[in-house]
Amino acid sequence: MNTRPALAQRISVASDRGFKYLMIAPAILILLLVGIFPLVYSLVVSFQNITMTEVDTSFAGALNYVQLFKDSRLWESLLHTALITMVALPLELVFGFLLAQLFLERFPGRQIFVALLVLPTVISPIVAGATWRLMFDVRFGPIGQILSFFAGEPVNILWTVNPSFVYPAIVVCEVWQWTPFMFLLLLAALSNVDQSQLEAAEIDGASYWRVLRQIVIPAITPVIAVAVLIRGLDLVRIFDIIWALTEGGPGSMTETISLYAYVIGFVQFDTSYTAAVAFLVIVILTAIVTIALRRMEMVR
Amino acid sequence: MKRRSFLAATSLLALYPGSAWAEGKNAAETAVEAAKKYAGTEISIVWEAGLQSLDPLNYSGPKWEKLTGIKVKVVEVPTDQMFTKIMQDFRSGAGAYDALNVIPSWMPDLVRAGALEPLDAWVDQFGYRDELQDIAPAYRDNQMTVDGKIYGFPDDGDVMLLYYRKDIFADPKMKEEFKAKHGYDLAPPKDWKQFAEIGQFITDKLAPKTYGAGFFRTAPYPQYMFQERFRMEGGKFFDAETMKATVNSPVGLKVFEGMVAENKFMPPGVEQWNFVDNLANFLQGTTAMTISWPPYGRWAAGYGSGEEALSWVPKSQIAGKVGYALNPLGRDELGVGFALSVSTASKHKEAAYLFIQWLNSKQTSLERVQLPYTLRDPFRTSHYESAEYRKLWPDAGAYLDTIKRAGETGLLDLSLLQQDKYDEAMTKAISSLWAGEDAQAILDRLAEQFDAVTQKVGVDKQKAVYKAWAAKPGAYP
Repeated sequence: MNTRPALAQRISVASDRGFKYLMIAPAILILLLVGIFPLVYSLVVSFQNITMTEVDTSFAGALNYVQLFKDSRLWESLLHTALITMVALPLELVFGFLLAQLFLERFPGRQIFVALLVLPTVISPIVAGATWRLMFDVRFGPIGQILSFFAGEPVNILWTVNPSFVYPAIVVCEVWQWTPFMFLLLLAALSNVDQSQLEAAEIDGASYWRVLRQIVIPAITPVIAVAVLIRGLDLVRIFDIIWALTEGGPGSMTETISLYAYVIGFVQFDTSYTAAVAFLVIVILTAIVTIALRRMEMVR
Repeated sequence: MKRRSFLAATSLLALYPGSAWAEGKNAAETAVEAAKKYAGTEISIVWEAGLQSLDPLNYSGPKWEKLTGIKVKVVEVPTDQMFTKIMQDFRSGAGAYDALNVIPSWMPDLVRAGALEPLDAWVDQFGYRDELQDIAPAYRDNQMTVDGKIYGFPDDGDVMLLYYRKDIFADPKMKEEFKAKHGYDLAPPKDWKQFAEIGQFITDKLAPKTYGAGFFRTAPYPQYMFQERFRMEGGKFFDAETMKATVNSPVGLKVFEGMVAENKFMPPGVEQWNFVDNLANFLQGTTAMTISWPPYGRWAAGYGSGEEALSWVPKSQIAGKVGYALNPLGRDELGVGFALSVSTASKHKEAAYLFIQWLNSKQTSLERVQLPYTLRDPFRTSHYESAEYRKLWPDAGAYLDTIKRAGETGLLDLSLLQQDKYDEAMTKAISSLWAGEDAQAILDRLAEQFDAVTQKVGVDKQKAVYKAWAAKPGAYP
């Protein structure tokens, strides 16, 4: 006698649960189509041999993945990406922090200076790269003229050709454009550091460095972590600035992974191989982000 | 009976609309007459963006519409995207492009993919074969056919010439001092050793006002100069039997070392010069010699200087002082060039064909190569001999004679399957050269990259294409 209501109840619960899933099904379907399908499709393509002139879609096995390991240009481009990231990111962080410290104090015209400082960030990176290319121009560029003025003789540095200067040129442009981003985030974070702790430390006679090390930096570390993660990911994808400045040259000396993927994907149209490269990048980025997030969790 | 048959046959032939000779019409008139049946339709043509496009936009497109009622839509595409766009349209089957401008070195790839329509049947139907014989042999024999079939009409006499300052070369004091130093007359260089000696001499005497020479050095231009020079010095790109790259031979090293050494007597920063930098420096008198395509010669003479479209070209300070010569070693690169083709994806193939026949015909092409604002260069015997063209500026006759000589013996660009990859490798190699990397190391890497592309395409497949290319009269000297 009791089984019937219990069954009805179970059916009702199951039906409720089913209704819930039914309601969210369209959203999940759209998410799958938009997010997962291109990924799966790219994975399928990476196991084929499609190029611009070859439309053979038969299974090519792990051909493209084997090719990845033989492709020295690919690994060099990853190395270039890592090099730029490891140099530019700390510089942006340090300069951003120093500027933020400077602008913590209230002084006349502070807001105007902040607005001016942020300007490079709102410029398109391709425009920033093109502007710096002109700045570095050996004939008309102001940098050469200033150096010549101080040297007292013509200084002809080929910033975008000479291997000794090409990376500094890229890093200068990158740091110029993105330091303000760090500055803004860190200024906001520093403004929110608990003033009572700072005042207590001051009364106790703590030195500037001790306050910085033991109060300020621990307080803003979560913001630093997020800022470093965002900028780090951006730097791994760096394209526009380098394209405008050097197009990856001289030779392939400044070719980053994004430039290389663009060249093989959209200049040479090695579609399947590009898909394999994209998957390699996804794997690397996923590993980096996972590690970074774990570290951030530890910070929290 | 025989006479009747003959009369019947000749009557039918005369009635046939395509037999132009029977009606006494030239190829341009034949194309116009045949195209009138398509009045009211619109055809599209892919054209290189920029100055090149002003020809169909301002001149030939509107004129064709007036003559036939067919509207021409010009699709402007940057040079480095033309191949991709054409292939994308073909692969998608969209048929967005009817007629095409094709760089001849792409033809094997495009034909193999099935993107280009063979033109032979139309050439015969619309009586164009005779006029094709007027196209300079270097273009006609090298840039028109794939496997014996016509896929494009060579339509641009691209060839790289040496321009030099006649006034400096004719200066008695300079001549005397040069002869005393080097033991031969100061004249356009016959080989690259002479080029280096003359260039250094002028720089020593006149710099910084005028340097011995200046070249464009940024991508993609120098690779065409390398291709010419490498072959003229005796180099071969590949071993024809194994298809192993041989660009890293002693000849390649000699050419690379020569190219780097020349930068020393060129203006500071020449390594960064592009087409416009090189043009501006030559027109302003900063360099005494340069090598480039034919428009330099026209603009240096001041031809077209009043045109709004050419307002970006610096005013020539050297008009009347420019001499024209073949490049050192005497066979000039037919760098790039354009041929007119019909897309297989087109929905208006015959109308598109008739348009390109009209454009390319003796009559219309002579008008087009004289347009001061476009970049189409003379490419037909009738262009070289045109009395009208020879009057355009005082030295126009000498200019045409030099282009004709260059066109007769020009070297064609390397043209293999996936040629863009070989081109990119050469471009990168030369860029590394300017950065001061060891020349032999660069060449060894270049050879490895060539081999990797060949392997990917398939050695046997590529070997067959290379053999066909190498058998052409303009492939190797």
